Amino acid sequence: MSGSGSKCVRLSGPLVKPLLDSVDCVLFDCDGVIWRGNQAVAGAPQVINLLKERGKRVLFVTNNSTKTRSMYAEKMSALGFNVTEDEVFGTAFCCAAYLQTVCALRGKVYLLGSAAMQQELQAVGIQHVGVGPDHVSGTQQDWANVPLDPDVKAVVVGFDEHFSYMKLNRALQYLLQNDCLFVGTNRDSRLPLEGGKAVPGTGCLLQAVEAAAQRQAQTVGKPSRFMFDCLAARFGVQPERCMMVGDRLDTDILLGSNCGLKTLLTLTGVSTVAEAEAHRASGCAGRQGMVPDYYVESIADLLPALQG
Amino acid sequence: MAGAFAFKGCQKIRGAQIRGLLEAKDFFLFDCDGVIWHGENAITGAAKVVNALIRRGKNVVFVTNNCTRPRENYVSKFTRLGFTDVMLDQIFSSSYCSALYLRDVVKVRGQVFVIGCEGLCRELLEAGIPCVEETDEPGATIYNCALAPDVKAVLVGHDDKLTFLKLAKASCYLRDPECLFLATDNDPWHPLSGGRILPGSGSLTAAIEVASGRKATVIGKPSRFMFECISSQFSGVDPAQCLMVGDRLETDMLFGSNCGLDTMLTLTGVSQIEEAQEYRNSDLDSNRSYVPDYVVDTIADFLPAFEENEEQND
Repeated sequence: MSGSGSKCVRLSGPLVKPLLDSVDCVLFDCDGVIWRGNQAVAGAPQVINLLKERGKRVLFVTNNSTKTRSMYAEKMSALGFNVTEDEVFGTAFCCAAYLQTVCALRGKVYLLGSAAMQQELQAVGIQHVGVGPDHVSGTQQDWANVPLDPDVKAVVVGFDEHFSYMKLNRALQYLLQNDCLFVGTNRDSRLPLEGGKAVPGTGCLLQAVEAAAQRQAQTVGKPSRFMFDCLAARFGVQPERCMMVGDRLDTDILLGSNCGLKTLLTLTGVSTVAEAEAHRASGCAGRQGMVPDYYVESIADLLPALQG
Repeated sequence: MAGAFAFKGCQKIRGAQIRGLLEAKDFFLFDCDGVIWHGENAITGAAKVVNALIRRGKNVVFVTNNCTRPRENYVSKFTRLGFTDVMLDQIFSSSYCSALYLRDVVKVRGQVFVIGCEGLCRELLEAGIPCVEETDEPGATIYNCALAPDVKAVLVGHDDKLTFLKLAKASCYLRDPECLFLATDNDPWHPLSGGRILPGSGSLTAAIEVASGRKATVIGKPSRFMFECISSQFSGVDPAQCLMVGDRLETDMLFGSNCGLDTMLTLTGVSQIEEAQEYRNSDLDSNRSYVPDYVVDTIADFLPAFEENEEQND
């Protein structure tokens, strides 16, 4: 399928097979696409497994920083997806890669993040401090004068359920040093769970630190290109023969557009067709990247073409 | 007088010009941190200035975004630091004004979920506004926590006991579009003595704005509301009679500008004269609002004006 200019088309029936034939590689977001919380989206495991059987390269690109690649592989197995850990690109893994390759970090990280982030950093030999609960004690002067580890050369913000004022404060004190790097895993405002519930996402924590420090972080996750570059380098992916499948216009679809991929929106997650149409109708050039080529109600809509 | 000239503003004044200003103005609004004190230390001469203004029959009020202590504590602090005639009704903190907003503007019926410290909750309770009790729920996680019923507003201030759980609860309450979203102030950081800074209410508010997808209504400077509280209490205040004295361009000067007051920047706090000059030299019209009309090194620069007055009266 060439870029004919038509956008936001409902992918159904006869359109599916030609689209699948036009790509060798399919990238899937996870939350809201193949699972919600700990429940697989109905039909999703069959879709992934059949795509692989049909010879497609299938990779996973997620902004969720709470799992390592091996934790993702475990979850996927448990839910019936035939996936190996090197096929999963989460921001914990990619952030460690980013610090190592792009930032060429020499020094430690003050980390607001999960055990998964700790592990991925350790795996590339980057030391970190700060993970876990951290509450205020003493006076305001004590907080402003917290002892800083002189080896810390970067503040990294990921999803951190132990986020607290004290951690925000420590991050601020480190970031007041000009040579301290500032990296965030992603800007998602919400982390979706099963049953339509959601918790505040990493974007909230990042915004708090950015506001206090009056500095902008570099972000690793979608829609920034880095995660695509990371997987493309490992798997030799050709953008024009690749499709991104996601549920968020401002991360998944925008990443796809930024990297010259075909884009497919699924409606089992955050974004709606109405939002996509609004971007298209806006006439604003900056918003066109958030309009998907196609959309489906659920990725299970791909099954008939795969099974036929 | 700062007025119709092309390069108005940022006028460093002393001596006779200050005397002129003191005679022309009836109502003096002072910020506190960085203007009359640094932490527990009064700025040299500040107490004398304030006491002299009050003795000369001028109206003096204090307008602060600091929401961490109830007004009674401020009265004690004023006394402790030598400001002898300052009374409760001269103090306007963002926490007190938040309580007024909820009680008198919104007329809230129901509870308020507060992300802030005890001082903020006390101001609300004193105004008869119930706050959701913070209870220790064993086993509560961010994925599964009990929500209080009948929460009609979320109020965010400075909270050194902030946790992810509180963020999660706030964003749950704010899913109801009928539930109000208020912030005591938007200061992203606030200064301590010795040049140190700490995260401010603005950074916490930013987190909740992202989580909820909603914008908070800000009570404190630079929003007009605190001036409306002052005006209401003093049965109508003429902006032309006022001088707003502060140390922070983005809060105090903008506040003064928003309320139609003349503004004076004192250099004993956050903002430097160079920053004021940058705003003045900027091409953007909106930046004019950050430019003070007058500048002094310290409010102690008012003192000679009083002494001259006294000499003339002898």
